[in-house]
Amino acid sequence: MASTGSPSATGSTSVTGPASVTGGVGRRSLLKVAGAGGAGLLFSSALGAPAAAAGGRRCYVLVLDGLRPGEISGGLMPNVRALRDGGRSFPRASSLPVAETIPNHVMMMTGVRPDRSGVPANTIYDRRLGEVRELDRPSDLRADTVIEQLNRTGRATGTVLSKEYLHGIFGERASHRWEPQPLVPVSGHAPDQFTMDAAISMVEEFDPHLVFVNLGDVDRVGHSDVSGTTLALARRAALVSTDQQVKRFVDLLKDTGRWERSLVVVLADHSMDWSTPGDLISLQPVMDADPLLAGKVRIAQNGGADLLYWVGGAKRREAAVARMRALAERHPGVLVAHDRAAQRSSLRLGRRAGDVVVWCRAGWRFSDPDATANPIPGNHGHPASYPIPFFLAGGHRLVRAGTTSSAHAHTVDVAPTVARFFGLDAPPGGWDGRRRI
Amino acid sequence: MTTSTQPTSLDRRTVLKSSAATAGAATLVAGSGRATASRGPFRHGVASGDPLPHAVVLWTRVTPTDAATPGSGVGPRTSVTWQVATDRAFRNVVRSGRAATGPARDHTVKIDATGLRPARWYYFRFRHRGQSSPVGRTRTAPARDADVANLRLGVVSCANLQAGWFSAYRHLADRDDLHAVLHLGDYLYEYAPGEYGYGRENADIRPHRPAREMVSLADYRQRHGQYKRDPDLQRLHAAYPFIVTWDDHEVTNDQWRDGAENHQADEGGYRVRRARAHRAYDEWMPVRMNGTADLRDGTRLFRRLSFGTLAELSMLDLRTHRDQQVASSVPESPVGPYADPELSDPDRTITGRRQMDWLKDSLARDRAQWKLVGNPVMIAPVTFGSVPRDLIGPVNDVTGLLPDDGLAYNADQWDGYTDDRREVFAHIRDRGVTDTVFLTGDIHSGWACDLPYDVGAYPAARESAGVEFVCTSVTSNNLKDITGTPPGTSSRAVETAIMAGNRHVRYLDFDNHGYSVLDITPARVQMDWYVIGDRADRRAGVRWSASYACDSGTQRVRPVGGPVTGPVEVPAREGGA
Repeated sequence: MASTGSPSATGSTSVTGPASVTGGVGRRSLLKVAGAGGAGLLFSSALGAPAAAAGGRRCYVLVLDGLRPGEISGGLMPNVRALRDGGRSFPRASSLPVAETIPNHVMMMTGVRPDRSGVPANTIYDRRLGEVRELDRPSDLRADTVIEQLNRTGRATGTVLSKEYLHGIFGERASHRWEPQPLVPVSGHAPDQFTMDAAISMVEEFDPHLVFVNLGDVDRVGHSDVSGTTLALARRAALVSTDQQVKRFVDLLKDTGRWERSLVVVLADHSMDWSTPGDLISLQPVMDADPLLAGKVRIAQNGGADLLYWVGGAKRREAAVARMRALAERHPGVLVAHDRAAQRSSLRLGRRAGDVVVWCRAGWRFSDPDATANPIPGNHGHPASYPIPFFLAGGHRLVRAGTTSSAHAHTVDVAPTVARFFGLDAPPGGWDGRRRI
Repeated sequence: MTTSTQPTSLDRRTVLKSSAATAGAATLVAGSGRATASRGPFRHGVASGDPLPHAVVLWTRVTPTDAATPGSGVGPRTSVTWQVATDRAFRNVVRSGRAATGPARDHTVKIDATGLRPARWYYFRFRHRGQSSPVGRTRTAPARDADVANLRLGVVSCANLQAGWFSAYRHLADRDDLHAVLHLGDYLYEYAPGEYGYGRENADIRPHRPAREMVSLADYRQRHGQYKRDPDLQRLHAAYPFIVTWDDHEVTNDQWRDGAENHQADEGGYRVRRARAHRAYDEWMPVRMNGTADLRDGTRLFRRLSFGTLAELSMLDLRTHRDQQVASSVPESPVGPYADPELSDPDRTITGRRQMDWLKDSLARDRAQWKLVGNPVMIAPVTFGSVPRDLIGPVNDVTGLLPDDGLAYNADQWDGYTDDRREVFAHIRDRGVTDTVFLTGDIHSGWACDLPYDVGAYPAARESAGVEFVCTSVTSNNLKDITGTPPGTSSRAVETAIMAGNRHVRYLDFDNHGYSVLDITPARVQMDWYVIGDRADRRAGVRWSASYACDSGTQRVRPVGGPVTGPVEVPAREGGA
């Protein structure tokens, strides 16, 4: 498909109006497309991005952000369930620490753990800048991605990521990118309806070999709603809605003949846990009340995980880490406080994750630097939020349709699976994940 | 739920009818001339157990002279040879050896046959002075990293010889579609004749020997010997490896760390008695205690067995390390009866600290997909609904659920040690552990339950730590036996009341005896309940009664329309079955 011209509408999906090139910005061109709801969809493409040849293998990675595996069987997601049951399912699948959105999306596309990618959490304390910040910059991602690998082979790639920070960190890596909008205030994500409009338009307009899609509604409903009983209702509504969006995408593949040559990887980046208003953990005041630690500990709060950074002298670091761990583990609701360096081989988080990594128990959440910092009940990052759905669908023969495996799949397995599908090599040092086809 | 009083034959679809079936246990044992040997050196049959990928325990007892009866302490030291082959004609013998035995070990023989290949059927036999034992069949576990498509276990508990014939064992042995048999305890009973038998009158269908409560080492050995002479049990042992744990009656009723309800001061020191019981158990059961098949090197029974990436089975010992049971309630109070706070005392334990830490290690996401727990007593919380008052006594006799004051705690189950249960469930939730299945015996009834984190909030929240499947008894009395009422009458009222008050209890059958079949695949775990006819009829039939499954990732049970059928699936990469 060419990157300009009028897209053809297919069935009930997507593009209803003309597309137009709105101009070039730096090394990219912009394309504005009218989505199904009438809203404009803005794509940017790398200049010289390859036009995908018709036919051939296609891979689509659909991330249903924050979906719990049991929710697929709960009756509200019949289309996702049918997709799972008709494909190859991995019911034992897990998110990886820190069970947050950015690091797990990065693991999906790099196939390596955070100590190699440089992306251990959504939020870190940046020692160089002296501030807590999100890892939302393209330069934060220090590993190669299958997106770039495919680009180098002359194939086309696309990203349709509903969240601003995901759009940020993956930057201009893909040949074609959707810039998420409209964005919901507070949540910073585009509703699934628009995201799926974009995914469908992306396929119809550019037909990339690989499209990486994040649908954020299920996760964002869990985070944003603080009104108690309405939370469950909103979550249920999001499940139903997201299920319909997935159906739209599958219909597109089937209606356009892509299904039989496609691998569709469906998974979540993490699960979801809910805390009650009183079950808060604020470690900053605890650290600041300690004579050794006062003023010398910075905390990057990641919902169910706190990353603690010692900013005092190196000579006292060992004692400080021991004290931080002891104080944290004494706090109600804390599950465990890890010495990150001592457990580097199991945690695989790297230096950017700080000195002490603290998980909370189920039903709790961190709120740092103080109790007002994190008002939202929906929570992840801790081990309670590890279980995720993970299955392979699509009509390609490599998908062992209608099977289930006890293998322990992880988010980091996506890249080696995609690489296997397209015949790409492992990166120097090998994959940290395992291919699932 | 069953409503029929006349079970019919087992659905033929559940039994292989092909010629392959003739390679099964019945033919194997019958190959020695009869189903059981009433005389000769191997009159107690053969058994195998605790399958590992490369090893399995083989067992027999040799009777070198007629005087060398179990518990007699007489008879010469002697030896037997043993063989393991890949074919029942023993043309391809892959392991063999010689083992010594004698009166010091009650002439039992226990071998850990090693060097075997994973996920393979093997045949084994013993020889003594030119005479061969019946041929047994066993199967090794899949390799730890094998991608296993299916595991199928027979599940049994509570086999009181005085209360009837072991038809459940017979029908289970007739199947040819299992990998192993899981025995969840009360493999034998301690009572004297007339103390605990069939129905309201405690009639002895078959009186125990010795004709007294077993207390001495000789008593325990003789009782084990009596049970091992049962033809149905012998056939089942010869057909499949057993994976066993004990409950209380292997020592005596309601045992705990330092005593038991059925242990009195004039019976000597309790620890001495228990040591005798454990010694006899180690001698007579195909189990690794303290991790070995050797005798007298320790009595730790909790252990894990793995079945590839599909499942890991953690077998618990909930008797040896527990604190004493407490009364379920404090009835003498100005405000009426209330739950004894000791029920939730964090200093009281049903597992012991070491076993609790070990269990929590078993319940980890990086272990096998299905975390199966061989659990001698129920872990699902059960609270009292509106059970008719005249049925409280009988229900309590069976389950201990309903003390006369109406407070609903069975202090002998996990309900009597709620802090331990809280710790296990909290661990599951905190660590994001999924696909945990407790497999339970003990209470002579069939149950399928979710395991709510919060019973009160469960109908709305539906947050479950896992599921529990409870098999009914092989023969031990259930509710209808005690009330003397027809099936589906008084027991139905109790079942309805308990399920109404406990929304996480999805299936309950107080009426029947039988066995269960647990079928495990990556997609789901399913338990089928089969029920037998009259225990007094040694030829009682069997029929399917109910099935419930738990889909992976859901931690909840759901009804299933029929039992698993057909042969066990054999993963292609594992080769033939």
